[in-house]
Amino acid sequence: MQALTDNVLMMKVKSGDLDKLGLLYERHKKKLFGFFYNMGNNASLSEDLVQNVFVRILKYRQSFTGEGPFTAWMFSMARNVNYDHHKKVTREGVSRNVSPEQVDRGTGDYLNEAMDLQGDAHLLRRALGLLSAEKKEILLLSKYRELKFQEIGEILGCSEGAAKVRVHRALKDLKTIFLQLETR
Amino acid sequence: MDEKFEIVAMDYLSGNLTEGEAKEFETFLEAHVECREKYEELMQSWEQLQAMQTPDPSEKMDEAFFNMLSSVIEKEQGKAPKQSIVSMLSGIFRPQWVIGSFLLLIGLGVGYFLRPEVEPIPTQTIAANNETEEVRQKLVLTLLDQPSANQRLQGVSEANKFENADDIVIKALLKTLNSDPNVNVRLAAIESLTNYVDKPEVRQGLVQSIPNQESPILQITLANLMVALQEKSSIAPFKQLLKQKELDTTVKKRIERSIESII
Repeated sequence: MQALTDNVLMMKVKSGDLDKLGLLYERHKKKLFGFFYNMGNNASLSEDLVQNVFVRILKYRQSFTGEGPFTAWMFSMARNVNYDHHKKVTREGVSRNVSPEQVDRGTGDYLNEAMDLQGDAHLLRRALGLLSAEKKEILLLSKYRELKFQEIGEILGCSEGAAKVRVHRALKDLKTIFLQLETR
Repeated sequence: MDEKFEIVAMDYLSGNLTEGEAKEFETFLEAHVECREKYEELMQSWEQLQAMQTPDPSEKMDEAFFNMLSSVIEKEQGKAPKQSIVSMLSGIFRPQWVIGSFLLLIGLGVGYFLRPEVEPIPTQTIAANNETEEVRQKLVLTLLDQPSANQRLQGVSEANKFENADDIVIKALLKTLNSDPNVNVRLAAIESLTNYVDKPEVRQGLVQSIPNQESPILQITLANLMVALQEKSSIAPFKQLLKQKELDTTVKKRIERSIESII
């Protein structure tokens, strides 16, 4: 099915066939949205950030070498987009990002609330929200199976082994926080 | 130890281990209860994380994305002509062209080194030319000495084939013109000599032969030639000819006209 791999598509985009970005978008929009959403951004902000990632991909398409997998390249962009956004927000002193766990119930997103209300899932999301940004990030990156630890290491700028250790420790922390929340 | 366990545990979780390594890890877990508990906790939160549901993005996102993409494409197409020139230029440097011109260069180079030795041949032909000229010269000289008028004619026509007749041939021709008993041979000698009228000795020889000619045809031919050459020095010999009593009247008139037109 994936006769045209992500890298092939991206190389086409790079050479000026911008239409192919639409295919890449369809393939990866959910993953990216999930990444931003789970990083603690609300749904509409996450959508904006996904959009920003693709704007950035277009802008920097010439820097895509095709050496590593497209997803790794895309997620490092996503990471930067998220980082830039939050830097801007803190600089402006306006907290526009409201994490799902901070939203008081009944603010409108009934579907999500209904899902979050299902016990553990809600707790897990809260626990994730309490993790530090770096740990949250690495856990979310490792959630996507197509990223190997080596690539996660590349995105984060560390070795493969270090990436594994970090994921491991982040998982452990997540568990601890989760248990604390549960016993409360 | 801890770090190693953490790494291997992550590999095991994400299925990065080979079968052997995985078995080894499993036996290790069975042997170490402490580690097994750690691993089970890890696995739980890993699975929870994997199972974590994320809402789907709304259709608004798709709409916004495709609007953005089409506007960018439109903008790029606005720049299209500029780009097409660039791509045309880059087309010149396409590998096919490079390889093509490279092969052409190689071909030219090989051809240059394998080219037949050109220089020796002209020297040979020049030498051959020299040889044939020499042979021809000898032939002309011999033919002009023959008693048969036919052969002497042949000699004169051979003399016409010289690109640049040398003095010996010219002298032989002049001698023929002055002393050959046959009118036709002398006539042919004049024609042959007209090829070299730009040589002063040829003109001189022609002028000097005027008084020697007795045949009216030759006299008229010479008169015409002198008119064509506008040779002033020929007037005196012509006047001398006019004094001869036995001169043909048509020739006489003709020569008088010629003298007038030369003057």
